[in-house]
Amino acid sequence: MDTVGAQSLPLVALAGSATGAVIALQTGDSLARFGAQTMLPAVIVFSLIKETGPIITALVVGGRVGAGIGAELGSMRVTEQIDAMEVSAISPYRFLAATRVLACILMLPLLTVCADFCGIIAGWAATSLGKSLSLRLFLEQGFRDVTFNDVIPSTAKTAVFGLIIGLVACFQGMRTSGGTEGVGRAATSSVVLASLFVILADVLLVRLTLVFFP
Amino acid sequence: MRESESQPPVQVADLRKKFGSQTVLNGINLTVSKGETVVLLGRSGTGKSVFLKLIVGLQQPDSGSIRIDGEEITGLNLGEMNEVRRKIGFLFQQAALYDSLTVEENVAFPLDRHTKMPPSRRRDRVRELLASVGMERDFHKLPAELSGGMQKRVGLARALALEPSILLFDEPTTGLDPITSAEIGELILSLRRRRHVTSVVVTHDIAGARAFADRMVLLDRGNIVAEGTFEQLKRSRNEFVARFLDGNAEESKCRESFA
Repeated sequence: MDTVGAQSLPLVALAGSATGAVIALQTGDSLARFGAQTMLPAVIVFSLIKETGPIITALVVGGRVGAGIGAELGSMRVTEQIDAMEVSAISPYRFLAATRVLACILMLPLLTVCADFCGIIAGWAATSLGKSLSLRLFLEQGFRDVTFNDVIPSTAKTAVFGLIIGLVACFQGMRTSGGTEGVGRAATSSVVLASLFVILADVLLVRLTLVFFP
Repeated sequence: MRESESQPPVQVADLRKKFGSQTVLNGINLTVSKGETVVLLGRSGTGKSVFLKLIVGLQQPDSGSIRIDGEEITGLNLGEMNEVRRKIGFLFQQAALYDSLTVEENVAFPLDRHTKMPPSRRRDRVRELLASVGMERDFHKLPAELSGGMQKRVGLARALALEPSILLFDEPTTGLDPITSAEIGELILSLRRRRHVTSVVVTHDIAGARAFADRMVLLDRGNIVAEGTFEQLKRSRNEFVARFLDGNAEESKCRESFA
């Protein structure tokens, strides 16, 4: 929990903040062309909560935690630590994999909320660089039309992203072979496959969300 | 007397294992009696470590029979195999200590998972095990802070934690200096004397193995080519046995290598 959650927090907060600021700067400029600047707070909030916050969090955590789990379990495999566990009649899947997968499932939604929060604050800060806008007014305009159907499904889907990251990294780590080179391959393939599956799952989950929470 | 007690602890019949097109074990037959220490010798890559891993169920044979205390273990499910594994202690070639745990936690690990000892009793048991391998003063250290010989000692203490009746050693003295090798050999010998455990030891250290082996088994190309005490093997007329025991390379192979 500590490694997946607390230690990922600074990176997730930074990625969320940067994303919020970039959305504010890029979209602000575009909206100005259509005379729709007043929509900017809502665009930032909706964009972050519904899609950008969850996917950025999943990709950042997938990179950091996925590589970590893949390398850690891969290293345990090549140094026969996992064999030693099996010989001691202890299931490495239960003891090593289940705990890591569970930590990913529980931590991803919490980290997503943090990324959303930091993104919105950074979005306000970037917006108020161009014109003076109080945080209270920004939040009021941003959250005016937000409902639970916008927040809950998109945050909850990150638990599925956590499941994917945990499963892929544990699987790649557990099946490592070929010494230190194999450990490197396990770490890389964990990140690549976890990111790929997260993106594909996102498409599917967004479609399902639109069906069940129109 | 229970049936399992009258059965040999390890009985292997017609054991075969291939990796791709490479035959590693080609019909091995071996019975290890209760309290006996059998040493497996052979060139690198002749399937000695694979043999140990098959006995403990880490790999599955292509065909053949493996009986532990009379119970056939090929085809057991994981739960049944884990019951068998509790009778077996395994010392890995590189000790395979859990590198994020201290020496004390490594030895306590199987006890935590398989016994309901109160913490104070468990701590005493761990210290007792560490003392039996001369590592009682290093209980707080991490594996990375230990030498190869010390890691092997801790690995042995961990393998003994559940009081197994069968011990498997995968190259216990490889990479160690002669004095530490002799100390590990002494530990194996004292285990047989004090606990009457049945042991299968894979090693290249013929001189060291003479001290603790009841019987030596020489493998070549997946087959047992000789079996007996060191003296019996020494009298063998088999050319490979003589060359292996004397440590002589095949002349033609040497010529090929340097050609």
